[in-house]
Amino acid sequence: MGEAIVITSGKGGVGKTTTTANLGTALALQGKKVCLIDTDIGLRNLDVVLGLENRIIYDLVDVIEGRCKVHQALVKDKRFEDKLYLLPAAQTTDKHAINPAQMKELVTELKRDYDYVVIDCPAGIEQGYKNAVAGADRAIVVTTPEISAVRDADRIIGLLEQEDIAPPKLIINRIRQHLMKAGDALDVNEITTHLSIDLLGIIMDDESVITSSNKGEPVVMDPTNRAAQGYRNIARRILGESVPLMSMDVQKKGIFSKIKAVFAK
Amino acid sequence: MTKKQLVYIKGTKDGLVLRLDDQSAYAELVDELKLKVSDEGIDGQAEVLLQLGNRYCSEEQIKELIASVHTSPHLRVSRVQSDVISIEESNRRILERQSETYVGIVRSGQVIKAEGDLVVVGDVNPNGKIIAGGNIFVLGRLKGSAHAGANGNKEAVIAASWLEATHIKINETLETMTDELTILSEQPEMECAYLHANGFIAIDRLQELRLLRPQLSTFKGGS
Repeated sequence: MGEAIVITSGKGGVGKTTTTANLGTALALQGKKVCLIDTDIGLRNLDVVLGLENRIIYDLVDVIEGRCKVHQALVKDKRFEDKLYLLPAAQTTDKHAINPAQMKELVTELKRDYDYVVIDCPAGIEQGYKNAVAGADRAIVVTTPEISAVRDADRIIGLLEQEDIAPPKLIINRIRQHLMKAGDALDVNEITTHLSIDLLGIIMDDESVITSSNKGEPVVMDPTNRAAQGYRNIARRILGESVPLMSMDVQKKGIFSKIKAVFAK
Repeated sequence: MTKKQLVYIKGTKDGLVLRLDDQSAYAELVDELKLKVSDEGIDGQAEVLLQLGNRYCSEEQIKELIASVHTSPHLRVSRVQSDVISIEESNRRILERQSETYVGIVRSGQVIKAEGDLVVVGDVNPNGKIIAGGNIFVLGRLKGSAHAGANGNKEAVIAASWLEATHIKINETLETMTDELTILSEQPEMECAYLHANGFIAIDRLQELRLLRPQLSTFKGGS
């Protein structure tokens, strides 16, 4: 029996879909069988980020409404042998096409065959959110070091705490060291004390996240990238390993500081 | 056999006391009350205290009794006293005197309500709201909005380990805690907000609370 994890944030544009794609891929790279579900019906993106857009035949609503079997709708990512699958959202209908009970049933069915079911939640706190959270065993809240994103994360954590799931964990996405160091952005400590939930990991802001998304290749496939390292660390923590957090000090040892350190010797 | 008297009238220096029998039928009582107040030869105005004894009267009945007394131009009811209250009213009063405790974080969009005092052990985050009929005490950072004395208590206070609220309301007076406000201190640690005699909300150090609201302290004795 696998585990279902919902990736949510409240605010839009903080990187839920990117996180879902990369985390799912990282878990698959660790040898786990992973199924990603895009619940953003009407505004699906996860398929694009994974580069699987052209291979979609059936979607989530087709499965729920019984037009096909679950395995028929699942899109296999050939790059990862038999490890990574996607259940895409429907694009032609809206969030009211499904309800939480149906979603729960579907997730329970998928958990039988997969180690991890990662659910990409739409922005907002309405029907789409309720559907996404329905089947989840635990939740990951994604935020960025911006006050608006942190406020919305606080709201969503409050809602998640009322659900019958494990306490949510936090990912702080798109960290820009220079802003944080200068005190112009909220720092990691400030955010975690404000939200007072466990920090699962931090992801550095990196342009290659965008370029790789555009190519349909999750950035996590490039092990040298620092955002990818963040995602890989998070995946290992989900698997129960204790990986030390990339503290701000460690992150300072980017390529430049390493060079500086060499010259300092 | 003389009929039992249902309305006793007693004069005191503060006015008249009308003690109403609490065993008779209500209708009989009203009739006799009307009779009594009409044939009473009183000059000028007299304040009346209505004593109901162990009779429970609904609000409408109390209004009717007062109206009956007011049929005499000389009498004015100043107060109605009853030895009994309904269970509902009693429960409400218990709740109002109670202190309720919330342990956890009041997050954005959440509303925590208490009939009496409210103690929050944890932070109140921005856009989180706490409302209490009585006082509010926050063991943590109050960064959201707080409304104390919601049931009409103007003496209610809001105290917090860290008072950084966006909105503070006591009874009906609302203050938005904007930067222009001179009462805001730079170190909002251990502070309390209360309704000043001038009608505005004031903020002071927590240490001043025992002088500002001595009745808050219910502790008796000690050495």
